[in-house]
Amino acid sequence: MSLKPPPGFFTILYFAGAKDYTHKEKELLEAPLEVNKLLDVLEKKYNGIGEKILSSCLLTVNLGYVDTTEETLIREGDEVAIIPPVSSG
Amino acid sequence: MDAQSRIKQLRYQIADHEAKLATLKEQLLGLESEVSRKSLAKTAITITPEYTGSRIWPLHADEYTRYGRQMILPGVGLPGQLRLRAARILIVGIGGLGCPAAMYLAGAGIGALGMADGDVVELSNLHRQVLHSSEKVGLKKIDSAVMALKSINPDPKYITYPEHLDPVTALDIFPSYDLILDCTDTPQTRYLISDVAVLCGKPFISASALKTDGQLMILNHPPTPHLQQRNGVSSGPCYRCVFPRPPPADSVVSCGEGGILGPVVGIMGVLMALEAIKLIYSGSIKLENGGSLPSLLQASDSQSSLKHSMTMLTASGSGLSTFRSIRLKGKRTDCIACSFNATIDAKYLRSGSLDYAVFCGAAIPVSVLGKEERIGVEELSKHMQDSKHNSIPSLPNLNGHVLSSDHLAPSSPGRPPIIVDVRDEAQFSICSLPRSINIPWNVLQSYKNTHDDTDALLELKSQLKRGNYANVYTICRLGNDSQLAVRKLEQLNLGGQLSIKDVSGGFKAWKQNVDKDWPDY
Repeated sequence: MSLKPPPGFFTILYFAGAKDYTHKEKELLEAPLEVNKLLDVLEKKYNGIGEKILSSCLLTVNLGYVDTTEETLIREGDEVAIIPPVSSG
Repeated sequence: MDAQSRIKQLRYQIADHEAKLATLKEQLLGLESEVSRKSLAKTAITITPEYTGSRIWPLHADEYTRYGRQMILPGVGLPGQLRLRAARILIVGIGGLGCPAAMYLAGAGIGALGMADGDVVELSNLHRQVLHSSEKVGLKKIDSAVMALKSINPDPKYITYPEHLDPVTALDIFPSYDLILDCTDTPQTRYLISDVAVLCGKPFISASALKTDGQLMILNHPPTPHLQQRNGVSSGPCYRCVFPRPPPADSVVSCGEGGILGPVVGIMGVLMALEAIKLIYSGSIKLENGGSLPSLLQASDSQSSLKHSMTMLTASGSGLSTFRSIRLKGKRTDCIACSFNATIDAKYLRSGSLDYAVFCGAAIPVSVLGKEERIGVEELSKHMQDSKHNSIPSLPNLNGHVLSSDHLAPSSPGRPPIIVDVRDEAQFSICSLPRSINIPWNVLQSYKNTHDDTDALLELKSQLKRGNYANVYTICRLGNDSQLAVRKLEQLNLGGQLSIKDVSGGFKAWKQNVDKDWPDY
């Protein structure tokens, strides 16, 4: 689905409510980045996203989920996804 | 517990036991015929008994024909079909997800389908809730569903619970089912179903859909009892393991608010049926009434299917349609529902100590403006009428008072208002007020300064510059975003000399009190 990001970047995908909040399906962010620093980076770009979206979402790196408090390093070329719960049906 | 709830509870229990009894009888019949078949041939599956002219077949003649197309698949066969027929599945919610799921499960010959839903069919359901049809508007969804399902397949038993699920009902009815399908539409019910399924030791499939996105997970599979976890027996996560914190209530969007494409929720419902059918014929879940019904699949196959099932499938139907599988971890070691340290138990739930509405929070209606900063729809209508004719010297409001000068300052009487409609573009395209300007709230919200010029913003500025308008009014669907928009416009200084107000109650009130013909979308 997504092309490989250029050197020095990783791809971040926004699903459901995160897509609505950022008005983007995906974008490139600078790598490397600690997972627990990602929240600050996003909060700076999208005021209020921490409380509204990130506090309750699932965060994945390369299709495996990680805790936001983890000390995982996001490397260049990685694919990160923000997946908030969808509850309607 | 009061008498009414006790009566309700007893009714459920009786219905359940009766259904269970019927299934047991049917099973007995099935097994008896199996035994008689085995007595004819030592290895029932690999050696065909000699034809005697009076053989008893395990399935009815029609069933071989009805289910033949799925039975001839590798891995299904007669054992798979017998497992499907012995299975009992509970579908909670017969809406966008539940309808397609129920159709395929009924079609596949599931032995018993329980369905819980307290809603009635509405016209706005029909574009996606495929079991319901135009003539059924106003009927209970449960009744409408059973009618349609019986015409697809009269074989399964259909058991109905025409109410919204609460913890006590759920604890009473879950034990008699093998698998639960969560087809509901609120965070509260999702946590409730997960907690009760964990307590009753039932695997469940949770799916959801909104706008063009869908999610699907197989959870609490396998449902290992808490004590065994210490021995390193791996078991699947529950809903709380994946989403320990509910989303903030004011960020939860329903299909009525956010919209939903029929095929998106349809795909998710169909996928639920697919996963359910696979779990059952493959033998990877235990059947309450299935005894030791075998499966054609080897244990290693169902082990690998187990690994495969610890994923979340996300579907995205916008742009190029895509599916992705995200690996889920096992249980959280600190999960309050399913870990060794769980604090939620049946007694706790029955006592009502866990209030799911409180846990998930309630969306509080927006209230940021004072009374003097809001106008009613009648007042807006009058202002529009008066300024159209542009000949009335003063503007009495509904109470007969002449509006104070600062209400219209600095305009002279009869000047039209500037109307800023903050609904999104799609809703604006369905219906809008004459000469209103569309600046969607999510766009307005992101403006850092007024240099972010868009056509709508330019139009607003040019109207302000022309100076022959009175007041800026913001309006939206219900009267929430319009309040936030007033503050934002003030902050951006986009009212000029005019006062900025919002229209209380939005277009919902407009339809109710001013224009009966306004589209009800």
